[in-house]
Amino acid sequence: MNENKDLTIDDPDDLDIRGPLAGDVIRGASNRVAVSVSSAKANYFLYLLIPAIFLTVTLLGGLRLAGADSGFIFLPPPLICLVFSILLFILFFRGGLLSVSGWFSEELPTLTNVANASILLTVLAACAQIFNSLLPEGGVPFWIVSFCFFWTLWNDLFLDFDAKRFLRSTGGLLGLAFVVKYLFLQYFTAPSSQNWLTAIFENPGKEAFTWLLDLPRYSPATGYIQFFTLLLFFGGLFLLPRSTKK
Amino acid sequence: MKEKYIHILGLALTVIYFAFIVFLYWAEPRSLAEISTKSKVVIGTYQIDQQKFDEGLRAFRADNFIAARDSFDRADPERRDAKTQFYVAYTYYRQGWGRVYNDGELFSKGIEAVDRTIALNRDFKSDDSDLKLQTPAELRHELEEGTKTTGEDFNPLKLIRERK
Repeated sequence: MNENKDLTIDDPDDLDIRGPLAGDVIRGASNRVAVSVSSAKANYFLYLLIPAIFLTVTLLGGLRLAGADSGFIFLPPPLICLVFSILLFILFFRGGLLSVSGWFSEELPTLTNVANASILLTVLAACAQIFNSLLPEGGVPFWIVSFCFFWTLWNDLFLDFDAKRFLRSTGGLLGLAFVVKYLFLQYFTAPSSQNWLTAIFENPGKEAFTWLLDLPRYSPATGYIQFFTLLLFFGGLFLLPRSTKK
Repeated sequence: MKEKYIHILGLALTVIYFAFIVFLYWAEPRSLAEISTKSKVVIGTYQIDQQKFDEGLRAFRADNFIAARDSFDRADPERRDAKTQFYVAYTYYRQGWGRVYNDGELFSKGIEAVDRTIALNRDFKSDDSDLKLQTPAELRHELEEGTKTTGEDFNPLKLIRERK
């Protein structure tokens, strides 16, 4: 029984079955229609949903909420985040998560190549903002965590690994950075709603750490937003195909 | 929809979303309400709140300079209107002016406000006949002179001078 008998197509020849992510078995008109429908869905998914995910990560990665009034603070990424994002991006290709020839090819139409480039640019922007989200804003913690990121990414450049291992390693690295910044350092940050005299008497240790480590006083909601951002980033990476070709 | 149109739609939406993100990081709004105000500035439809400005003007004429400044600040939260910023500078001048000595801190803030006026409209001239200093240049000169300490400050005739 033909499952696609309800579909009415005026001109089946007008349907594009050669597009990215199209199905592979093409036998007869009914299957052609099915393949085209799944191809359209895959295109919506690839060219609309995936950029939206990575751009949302880009938007939220630099967002903090002020401790005093919960006002928005938009922090642009420091230069080091761009360096890290380039290194991570190179690792995506080296680790086999992305394939250059699968995203850019002379066989593909120019518009497809441009659309693919725009998706990869959103991935690059999201990578920069993820590092912006996970790096402490200043002081000694910034330099320590930056060094750890740099050391790990630089070593990874010269290792041989597959996509699965690479994703696990990246997940571990970014997850640990999240724990350090939003759980460990946050625990040592004094609340901002007190005057300095009360703060010194009530939280002398936290005040000292906040001052010594130059820790910013953000609202606890910032951690929740960044946790969601990190999950969204990994969700985007999970959905990102290695190649846009069949 | 044809694959070509999905690509074009995806590209267009990506560019729009990215532009919105760049705008947010450039404008740095502190709240959702500020996003709307700053968007108006970017697209050129920003206007001051006339009602708050009138309230500020009434307070200014009643020599209630703190209330006047508060109303002017709320009328022009983005500090984009030369006339409002001129009045803000004038509130600092009148509040800080003293027959014996001037308040240096208020005069310094007045200089900042008058500089904003000059940056917004170098040719600004007030149409308020109650103000003796009609241009930002005159007001700035008066504020600058007020922050300096010179031998002229010890002239007893200064006691009979009048606030402008």
